[in-house]
Amino acid sequence: MDISGLKEKIDSEISRIANIEDLKRVKVSILGRKGLFADYIDQLKTLDKELRRDAGKAINEIKSWADVRLGELEKHFNDIERQKREQDSLIDITMPGTTPVFGKKHPITLTLEEIIRIFASLGFAVAEGPDIETEFYNFESLNIPSDHPARDMQDTFYIRPGVVLRTHTSPVQIRTMEAQLPPVKIIAPGSVYRCDNDISHTPMFHQVEGLMVDKNVRFSDLKGILSIFIHEMFGPDTPLRFRPSYFPFTEPSAEVDIGCVICRGEGCRVCKDTGWLEILGSGMVHPQVFRNVGYDQEEITGFAFGMGVERIAMIKFGIDDIRQFYYNDIRFLSQF
Amino acid sequence: MKVPIEWLNEFVVIDIEPEDLAKRLTMRGLEVEGLEKFAPRFTGVIAGTITRIDAHPNADNLSVCSIDTGREELTVVCGASNISVNDRVPLATVGAALGQDFVVGKRKVRGIESFGMLCSEKELGLTDDHSGIFTLPDAITPGSDLANLPIAHDTVLDVSVPPNRGDCLSVFGIAREVASILRQKAKLPNFTLQTYGDGRVEDELDLAIHDTKACPRYVLKLIKGISLAPSPFWMRRRITRSGMRPINNIVDVTNYVMLELGQPLHAFDFDRLTDSRIEVKVAQGSSNFRTLDSIDRPLETGDILICDGSGPVAVAGIMGGENSEITGATKNMALESAYFNPFSIRATARRLGIRSEASLRFEKGIDIDNVGYAAERAMYLMHELAGGTVVKGQREIFEKTEPRTIYITYSNINGLLGTHISHDAVTRALRSIDLHITKEDENGFLVSVPNFRHDIGETADIIEEISRVHGFEHIPDTSPVAVLKPQKLTQKERFLSLIKEYCLGTGFYEIINFSFFSIKDIENFLIPGDDERSRYVPIMNPISRDWGVMRTMMMPSVLRCMAYNLNRGAKNLRFFEKGKVFFQESAGGISERTMLCFAITGRQKEYSWKEKHSDYDFFDIKGAIEGLVERLGVSCQVEAATEPFLDHGRSADIMIDGIKAGWAGAIRDDILQLYEIEQTIYCAELRFDIILEKGNLTLQYKPIPRYPQSTRDFSFYADDRVPIAILVEKIKGISPLIVSVGIFDMFRKEMRSVSMRVVFQSYEDTLTDERINALQEQIIGELTKIDGISLRA
Repeated sequence: MDISGLKEKIDSEISRIANIEDLKRVKVSILGRKGLFADYIDQLKTLDKELRRDAGKAINEIKSWADVRLGELEKHFNDIERQKREQDSLIDITMPGTTPVFGKKHPITLTLEEIIRIFASLGFAVAEGPDIETEFYNFESLNIPSDHPARDMQDTFYIRPGVVLRTHTSPVQIRTMEAQLPPVKIIAPGSVYRCDNDISHTPMFHQVEGLMVDKNVRFSDLKGILSIFIHEMFGPDTPLRFRPSYFPFTEPSAEVDIGCVICRGEGCRVCKDTGWLEILGSGMVHPQVFRNVGYDQEEITGFAFGMGVERIAMIKFGIDDIRQFYYNDIRFLSQF
Repeated sequence: MKVPIEWLNEFVVIDIEPEDLAKRLTMRGLEVEGLEKFAPRFTGVIAGTITRIDAHPNADNLSVCSIDTGREELTVVCGASNISVNDRVPLATVGAALGQDFVVGKRKVRGIESFGMLCSEKELGLTDDHSGIFTLPDAITPGSDLANLPIAHDTVLDVSVPPNRGDCLSVFGIAREVASILRQKAKLPNFTLQTYGDGRVEDELDLAIHDTKACPRYVLKLIKGISLAPSPFWMRRRITRSGMRPINNIVDVTNYVMLELGQPLHAFDFDRLTDSRIEVKVAQGSSNFRTLDSIDRPLETGDILICDGSGPVAVAGIMGGENSEITGATKNMALESAYFNPFSIRATARRLGIRSEASLRFEKGIDIDNVGYAAERAMYLMHELAGGTVVKGQREIFEKTEPRTIYITYSNINGLLGTHISHDAVTRALRSIDLHITKEDENGFLVSVPNFRHDIGETADIIEEISRVHGFEHIPDTSPVAVLKPQKLTQKERFLSLIKEYCLGTGFYEIINFSFFSIKDIENFLIPGDDERSRYVPIMNPISRDWGVMRTMMMPSVLRCMAYNLNRGAKNLRFFEKGKVFFQESAGGISERTMLCFAITGRQKEYSWKEKHSDYDFFDIKGAIEGLVERLGVSCQVEAATEPFLDHGRSADIMIDGIKAGWAGAIRDDILQLYEIEQTIYCAELRFDIILEKGNLTLQYKPIPRYPQSTRDFSFYADDRVPIAILVEKIKGISPLIVSVGIFDMFRKEMRSVSMRVVFQSYEDTLTDERINALQEQIIGELTKIDGISLRA
């Protein structure tokens, strides 16, 4: 049996392959059931053992070589084929993509959720109260007597004598303390109402109230908790200060200012050249408030705070007209 | 409260910069909201002496003056009449600039050359007075540049006085606080009151007080032979810079002393007081009284009245009467300095709608111990300014109050503040603000509170004072010592958070509207009288009629908001709102309910180059609701619409467990017109309380079937009277192996044709064709039994 020239013969056939069809045909003619190798293998049977082994080995070597050659060629032609297909179906990738629809939360909600998240992480639970309150809960129980300026009709919406739209979320303090014994650690988000409508006031806005009451709650704790809040909300480098102030239901009372985010404390129109922005009111719960809810003011102390959600959102997002929150202009809403 | 630092400086030495003072006052709780700086708004103005005044040859009301500037003699034409020879006057020389854009030039005035002009106070930006030439004090040497004189410079602090600190509504009150900051002691003005003659006030005036609760202290003084005139420059300037207007020397003195010491005063024309007597009464019953602004004021029981022998001459603390006011003819004046009950003054001022500088101070509570001193001070100034003779003595009734005392322990202080303030520091702090320790033991001490501090009544008030003086910045930040307790979300919060998440994922923008709307909205929406949504809660004092009542439904506000956006070019909107509605209940009760509202209009996208988007229809809003309630573990059904404001061709009531939980559909187009909307709005409102009650957020895994599922499609002709949902329910009921029934086609060609895909699934084995075929036959059999349903071949 003569296998000399076999490799060269195969090589010349393969070299003539010009396309995938040629390849298929040549592959059959070489490796097919009735192909070249089948012929040789048939012939092997006629040889005696010794020769058969050597010839078999040589044929196998040529066959695997041909296999590899043909395989490479097949891959080559497939690649060409695929590249052609890809070229034929070429798209303009710069056409706009198909965005899935998605909605957005109102910036007040975004801000509220952030405030709640921070205080929840400090162990405050969420409490609620009605929007329509009695004067007792909105004023008297909070040590705001009936002749206090805050009770003017100019500030408060009245439903009827004795019933008002709550002017702050502070009544939730009273309702919570009436319903449970200390310790109390709550925040109360919600809508509040005042008779005002201009660039910096809307007749409805949102507040978050906070209250912590226990044995040995100190003014220094109020400072500690609110400092954590401010740094979480406005960034760890935000300057802040606690400034004595007056609220009928806290004593001592403190206003908390942060360094103006617009001018970085240099003084500008937004901070009225003070370099500071008022962020929240706070203080130690007034003993009279404890007496009003039947807590023993000799035994327990507490702090309370309240902040305007719109104000914080305005500062965070740079919004200069509070009424924007309530126009619900899609061009406004889609920015958050 | 506006406080000129130049004035403050009379009581305490201000040796720090105004900015620093402002900051330190702010940190004491007296927030300085602004610093108004007064700098000369002029250049080239010097002092000169008038050496000669001649009439102008060509003009009757002009004069030609010679002014000696110390260096030269200048001729100036002047139109003012208040000048005389030897007056020291401000001369704006040629080239001087007054204000922003006026430059004085050399010019001919009716033929006479004028080398500059003489200036009024207003022209120099000092006060608003433009009635004549500003007469300078003789102490100012001719030739000196007015821009360098102290009168041209000042800083005014705008202090926001907290409502409980009535004691700070005066320059002296602020000075007390400043003195504490600067570790000084504020000094009252020093003067000696000269009296003349043998007469005594006691012989000329009677005083009676009927109710010493209403008026515990009243002082009457008398000055005779005064002459009304404008006040001198220094007083007018202080009054102007404090935000009031100078009037004449008598009125100005009463205002000046009020600003200086916080004691409101009232001047009566002595000769107009019938029977020369003053009685302080509390009104019983209603009457009318004409105040000095010529308005008839209704008086009511409880008002404190100042009366003479014939009747009221003033509403105490608020406004005097026309019948006793000071006029140009007044010669003799009786001065009232008194303490009136703050609550009465406030009630009367509020009812009459008068908030004057005087009533404001009486309301906050003035210093009862200062009433007599203030009267003396005013008498002294009146005598200085208006001449006349001060009559000896005074009429006074004084129901003395003992200063309050409060006991406090050191552990009270440091325990509440979280500080370690020493005994010495506490004592020092208190003493600096006139709170004196009268008794001491090892635990604490007794503090005596001066009568001007109406805000201090108990221990906490004293601690507040200590913390304020000590400085909040010196109190540490600490972490509360408390038991750690996890805070779980309430069921409501979990539901709301899922709802918002769902809305975001499904393309809804959240909106927030006011909780009020208009009665008109209820009418527009055709809500019948027996519907709970017509039981609105009205607001007594609404901002406008559009926001006159609490809303009983969400949709009108949402609709207005859509109109707002559509009018501004938006075409496609998807909005949702979570909010409260309010109902009037029987017996005066009010209920609040949380609602969810959805509204869509237009289409999902305005256009797409890839696919066509069709306009929203009923099934888009229905699907949004179905998807939402399913997310919360509830299923809902639809029933024929009953809402009067909906287009009943494409609307439905939404039912959960047989209870109406809301509605969905298209708003009637005649109602849309009322809101100026021209495109169809699909919307829905859902009761959150029902969803919360019926919902279930428990998550429970169900094994995934190990066997393949099979599907079969069916087509039926269905009469319009047969709701498709009934067919779906029917098929589902045939076997538990039927796991889903979907509608994949519906068209109408004479008859309605509907195509359904049914999915079969067993958890136990692979379903054979035979079993599925049997179920298929059962489905066809069951459905074709229904009247109006036939199989489409």
